[in-house]
Amino acid sequence: MGEDTDTRKINHSFLRDHSYVTEADIISTVEFNHTGELLATGDKGGRVVIFQREPESKNAPHSQGEYDVYSTFQSHEPEFDYLKSLEIEEKINKIKWLPQQNAAHSLLSTNDKTIKLWKITERDKRPEGYNLKDEEGKLKDLSTVTSLQVPVLKPMDLMVEVSPRRVFANGHTYHINSISVNSDCETYMSADDLRINLWHLAITDRSFNIVDIKPANMEDLTEVITASEFHPHHCNLFVYSSSKGSLRLCDMRAAALCDKHSKLFEEPEDPSNRSFFSEIISSVSDVKFSRSGRYMLTRDYLTVKVWDLNMEARPVETYQVGAAASKSRSPSERVTRFFPAPPPSASVIMTGAYNNFFRMFDRNTKRDVTLEASRESSKPRAVLKPRRVCVGGKRRRDDISVDSLDFTKKILHTAWHPAENIIAIAATNNLYIFQDKVNSEMH
Amino acid sequence: MEFKLEAHRIVSISLGKIYNSRVQRGGIKLHKNLLVSLVLRSARQVYLSDPCPGLYLAGPSGIPAAALPPPPQPGEPAAGEEEEEEEEEEEEMETGNVANLISIFGSSFSGLLRKSPGGGREEAEGEESGAEAAEPGQICCDKPVLRDINPWSTAIVAF
Repeated sequence: MGEDTDTRKINHSFLRDHSYVTEADIISTVEFNHTGELLATGDKGGRVVIFQREPESKNAPHSQGEYDVYSTFQSHEPEFDYLKSLEIEEKINKIKWLPQQNAAHSLLSTNDKTIKLWKITERDKRPEGYNLKDEEGKLKDLSTVTSLQVPVLKPMDLMVEVSPRRVFANGHTYHINSISVNSDCETYMSADDLRINLWHLAITDRSFNIVDIKPANMEDLTEVITASEFHPHHCNLFVYSSSKGSLRLCDMRAAALCDKHSKLFEEPEDPSNRSFFSEIISSVSDVKFSRSGRYMLTRDYLTVKVWDLNMEARPVETYQVGAAASKSRSPSERVTRFFPAPPPSASVIMTGAYNNFFRMFDRNTKRDVTLEASRESSKPRAVLKPRRVCVGGKRRRDDISVDSLDFTKKILHTAWHPAENIIAIAATNNLYIFQDKVNSEMH
Repeated sequence: MEFKLEAHRIVSISLGKIYNSRVQRGGIKLHKNLLVSLVLRSARQVYLSDPCPGLYLAGPSGIPAAALPPPPQPGEPAAGEEEEEEEEEEEEMETGNVANLISIFGSSFSGLLRKSPGGGREEAEGEESGAEAAEPGQICCDKPVLRDINPWSTAIVAF
């Protein structure tokens, strides 16, 4: 079946020029930190790789703030739940950066069951001249010590140290799909398929359940939680999306258990659009607040929608992501979770699609462009050429026909720099970083 | 006729996916299985409501009754005829591997496959083809919708 086919394709794709892809290298999440200086990626093998933006230097004008590897560490290992005889995957589902409060950086990373808080520190000085220890650290023979010296700090090569500071375990029965740090910088929430828990960043042995949609009888299950996020400014508000396509805004001041929503955002289904797979394509794969907190961005199978928090009846904007005529298309992944990226200026929306394409929508001009993230189609520092997917009949030279779209190559994870027009696109095991050199790139 | 074939194909693929999800790493993914079950339910309803005469698909004789969903209670004489018809249709649907998959599949998400979720006795599947507005899957049996089945049916393959 699908996933297995993908695995087999990936494991057996022995290609030249280092294109051999191991499953563990598949990037599963991408996240910029709050300044955009650091970019963290998580992969299926449980590793986190952090990239740092190089400061622009006059000596090398071409390397205008490019990203280089800063640190790599193993965040999660595969585990085994003996009670249920289940293996727990080490794949990193989400990474969220904490706001920086001192010289160190902190991030939360989670797999299906356990959330970990990692602290990233730099060390570029080393004390030398100890009285009791020699250079290798061995204790000196005291009889050889004739005078006292004050140890001095000498510069050394930069060393990045990463250490796990907290492990938030055993909070979830189902698979964790999202985490979100509160604007109060003290609490965060983690959501699995049926429940959402509230944690304090300093307390690991306790968490509070704030949403529980598990039915008394599991056979009555019709809906699961697909994503959730705290409001960027109001520490009492959060939203969660469901597989039925609805968004629920909850206020933690109203009750300890927020099963009753404060607002329900749902677009009524157009009966004429009803199809065999209606329920599946309406499932929301991700929800994000805009930076202002006034709007929400959601992604379902075929569209990206912008919702105004003040209007529950329907989205204010809808953008079609798939090829124009969905009838002639054969989608092969139904629960593909595309994660849209809210941009700093809130005027352009980006989301991933199939065939390593990603789409950008300009909300002001209503124009959109399809771009491709692949080694073959773009050289480093070259300007991306827009791609066109044609449906049926007329086909221009460089067009891709909808039937030749590769549905195993999907861009699920994208991230936008918080301040500049820099985007990070994860395509299978490759990370692409694009910068906007000229403002009029959208055409 | 083609709808029946497609629906049958979708049902067997869906069951295969549900079975595979039980053996894959990381345990059962609730969201994915829920959506596959919804597809399964819709496909089953399309299959059973197709007015074409049933297509006999070769399968091992003497398929154990346990593999079929439990038949209605004996205290339903009116549904006798329908019962037979329904069992025949179900046998047609059960090729060897599908029968095995159903028995392995067990009762997971059977609430979605039952007519009335949340309790209530099992009702004859033949009755489902009546106009039951409460069942959303019924809308899928409209002709214009069914015309779109073929392109979409490949959606399930690489799920």
